[in-house]
Amino acid sequence: MTIDVDARTSGGARSSVGARLADLEISRAWLVDPASGREGPGEIVVTDGVLEAVTWLEGVEAEGIDASGVIVAAGFIDLHAHLREPGNEDAETVATGLAAAAHGGFTTVCVMPNTTPALDEPSVLARIRDAAAASGLPVALLAHGAVSAGRAGEQLAALGELADAGVVGFSDDGAPVGSASLFRNALAYAGMLGLPIVDHPEDAALTEGAEANEGLIATILGLRGWPRAAEADAVARDLAILADVVGDVPGARLHLTHLSTAASLAHVRLAKAAGLPVTCDVTPHHLALTEEWLAGARRWSWEALDDDGVARDHWRDGAITAPPFDTSVRVNPPLRSAVDAAACLAALVDGTADAIATDHAPHAEVDKAVEFGLAANGISGIETALGVVLAAVDAGRLSLATAIAALTTGPARVLGDREPSTRGLFEGESANVVVFDRSATWRVTPDALASKGKNSPLLGRDLPGRVLLTVAGGRIAYEAADD
Amino acid sequence: MITDPALAAPDELLGAGPAADPVAAAGGGDNPAPAGLWRHRHLLDVDVLTADELELVMHTTATMSEILARPIPRVPALRGWGVTNLFYEASTRTRVSFEVAAKNLSADVVNVTASASSVTKGESLIDTIRTLEALGARMLVIRHATSGAPWLAAETFGGSVINAGDGLHAHPTQALLDLYTMRTHLPGGSVAGRKVVILGDVLHSRVARSNLWSLTASGADVWVCGPVTLLRGFEAWAAAGVAGTRQFTATSDLAAALRDADVVMALRIQRERMASGLLPSLREYAARFGLTRARLATARPDALVMHPGPMNEGVEIAPDVAAGTQSVITDQVANGVAVRMAILYLLAGARGAGE
Amino acid sequence: MSGRRIMTAEEIRRAVIRISHEIVEKHAGTDGLVLVGIQRRGVPIARRLAEAIREHEAAALPVGALDITFYRDDLSMLAQQPVVKGTDLPFDVTGTTVVLVDDVLYTGRTIRAAMDALMEYGRPRAIRLAVLVDRGHCELPIRADHVGKNVPTSREELVRVRIEEIDGEDAVDIDRAVAAEPVAARTT
Repeated sequence: MTIDVDARTSGGARSSVGARLADLEISRAWLVDPASGREGPGEIVVTDGVLEAVTWLEGVEAEGIDASGVIVAAGFIDLHAHLREPGNEDAETVATGLAAAAHGGFTTVCVMPNTTPALDEPSVLARIRDAAAASGLPVALLAHGAVSAGRAGEQLAALGELADAGVVGFSDDGAPVGSASLFRNALAYAGMLGLPIVDHPEDAALTEGAEANEGLIATILGLRGWPRAAEADAVARDLAILADVVGDVPGARLHLTHLSTAASLAHVRLAKAAGLPVTCDVTPHHLALTEEWLAGARRWSWEALDDDGVARDHWRDGAITAPPFDTSVRVNPPLRSAVDAAACLAALVDGTADAIATDHAPHAEVDKAVEFGLAANGISGIETALGVVLAAVDAGRLSLATAIAALTTGPARVLGDREPSTRGLFEGESANVVVFDRSATWRVTPDALASKGKNSPLLGRDLPGRVLLTVAGGRIAYEAADD
Repeated sequence: MITDPALAAPDELLGAGPAADPVAAAGGGDNPAPAGLWRHRHLLDVDVLTADELELVMHTTATMSEILARPIPRVPALRGWGVTNLFYEASTRTRVSFEVAAKNLSADVVNVTASASSVTKGESLIDTIRTLEALGARMLVIRHATSGAPWLAAETFGGSVINAGDGLHAHPTQALLDLYTMRTHLPGGSVAGRKVVILGDVLHSRVARSNLWSLTASGADVWVCGPVTLLRGFEAWAAAGVAGTRQFTATSDLAAALRDADVVMALRIQRERMASGLLPSLREYAARFGLTRARLATARPDALVMHPGPMNEGVEIAPDVAAGTQSVITDQVANGVAVRMAILYLLAGARGAGE
Repeated sequence: MSGRRIMTAEEIRRAVIRISHEIVEKHAGTDGLVLVGIQRRGVPIARRLAEAIREHEAAALPVGALDITFYRDDLSMLAQQPVVKGTDLPFDVTGTTVVLVDDVLYTGRTIRAAMDALMEYGRPRAIRLAVLVDRGHCELPIRADHVGKNVPTSREELVRVRIEEIDGEDAVDIDRAVAAEPVAARTT
């Protein structure tokens, strides 16, 4: 197989990030384009930032090209990322977060409003946009506004003003929309504005002090249990209220983020079948990692299931390879069982889950280099998302097309017309593409991560799918250094 | 034959020879000196200890008991060693037990009681440990309210870390002293095949968790018993087995648990369990699950009564049971010193060993 | 490993009998005399000495066992902690003449540790030392009162005492150590 990746910027010199991509030809690659339903050998040409030609190769020309080498796809959309600015710039800034996104193959990032101050009125959004512009990075930044003022869960934030300023949804993420009545009002009001509520479903009464998924691992490790029911009952509440509200407010829409249990996904599956306007996402870590990582196991979720789909015992298997209580696996919602992870994968396959969202949650070292019970929740995951998802593809748990769809057309559908750029390989449009090499692995190290958040449980691991080039809006967002 | 003189030279290193040593078992009951060697740098939990290693701890504890019986119970084994007790949770008895143990081995003991305020001031555990190490600590005994904190300490500290209780998770020296106490009182000096009942707030008990590891590793028939709200998760663990293999029983049926028991260990019930809605009242707990003389009578006639302390007499254990002839609770306290001496001694030789 | 035999079972038997006579002679009797073997091989040798004295003096001397592990000065130099064998002194040592019995006298550090350990149990009137083999290289001002055999050795050699009660046979061999590395852990 010959690969010809030849990117040049307008200056004629080798690329620099942020520059318009003058000239790119990728020949004899494997194109994956869920937007057109096609996948196969092909070539693309980008000229002056515009995707000029997409050519599908057939017959003799296609010989020797398969899905194990260089892949070209539309740039990824992350529905859920925390870029920490303003307020927690020691953990991440808009600039480092966007650079991390580009390294991960993402060309659009939806930031969450749990900044300090919270993104609950337009001036905070303006500040974030200024930071994005100043970064010189072409990755598109979209934002969710807060549901409640100060994310305090009491009064509605300035939803209308935020909508006018261009937010793509409302969320109190980090916490659920606390009271059922506030949630109901927010869902209706946002529906009037044509925007979804993006809820983090968690029944806080069941999770006070919780540290780990309630189950065998938490019992053995003496960690306070985080019941699955705390997510499932919050999802059920949200769906019941949605069903109520949507009768009066046809525009009401609900997006449930980072679903992590089989039961909550089952609720969504039923609600979708009933025609409710609900979408949801799952994260790479909830589909690939499990609670046994807290005990020190380091195998993928699908390796932790036996042939009958029953979770294997890591003690009996001798799967413990790392010390327990690693704070990098402390996350909200917690890593669940292998059965739940399998349910996340199944939900992507059957369409119950619309998207893979990273819930990229960078933290400063001081917030993680502490006792497990005191550590901040979250995984720095936007750069490892592709590799984790490809690991699932390699293991036969997802098709490559489904995986790419969950990173492109799936989230695009959730955003609807609030995401202006296209999510397919369409000729004549500004180029939003990611080029990655499935045959090349890269090692996750603190230095390899562009994010300030080094809080990844995958540190030290080799992931498949090294990103070679990310082009956003016709400009270079990331280009791998020559080896 | 060992050919490497570095290995062969002190023959004590090789453990018991082929012939039984007539006085090897001095103070050690009928158990011969075990052949196992100690390979752990830290004692974070008993889950990593094999049956042979438990045997070695028991044997070493017996020799420490002999020292404790002397007029001046002090040996110079750890002379010059800095042992620091870092306690983030108040626990006079455990702290004093470690302190006495270290002093009996001639170590230099420093006690640090870290109040919650030093945590809120922003001094991290890692900072604290680095400071204590720079001040000469070679062994760190840590008590912490957060499960897993000793693992963080072990990652940071250059010497040996001993877990003196972390959150709900583990209390390895308590489990070892419990095992030692049972062995010294049970006929035959072994818990194998014995029915041991751990009764009370199992959910919040690091003592119960650590005991499950060491007792099942030693072949005991372990039962954990309490109201279902305080037993949450243990039914599933019992079914899965400790280490995925060693079954035990979890039940709320007190009568079944006590029937023919050889050992009954009552656990402390804390008042905050009422506030969090896990129990209606202490009175109700005492009435349904308290270890009374009448209930104890359903166990074997010579059943041992144990409690890790501190006790709420009249709640989880009746005063006449706690002070009765079957109670070995004060022995537990005395054995605690011997076990901690044994652990300090064994860890002192384990520099460079793996976890 | 090629060993050179320096004492046979018969020689050991004779040495024990000779030492048993010397002990009694030096003490001018058996009153107030006790034997304390140092764990592990000193213990059976002490028992044999007591048996020999019982035969020719018709006196039963008390015999004890002393574990010196906690008194060693090289604990922190060892890769592994020694397994503690236990001390058993079923008599009060205060006022007695204690004959410490060990298999080999080498650096003297074991004997130093043994004297420290013994003092924890009381105040003997005198302490004497009997060893089966004195191989030289004593690093402390310690010498044996009774010696089965003096064997000049180099530090690279290993003196291997085998006692029937522990090893299944009586013999003393010298092995040339495979590695010439000095053995910090040695105290015999």
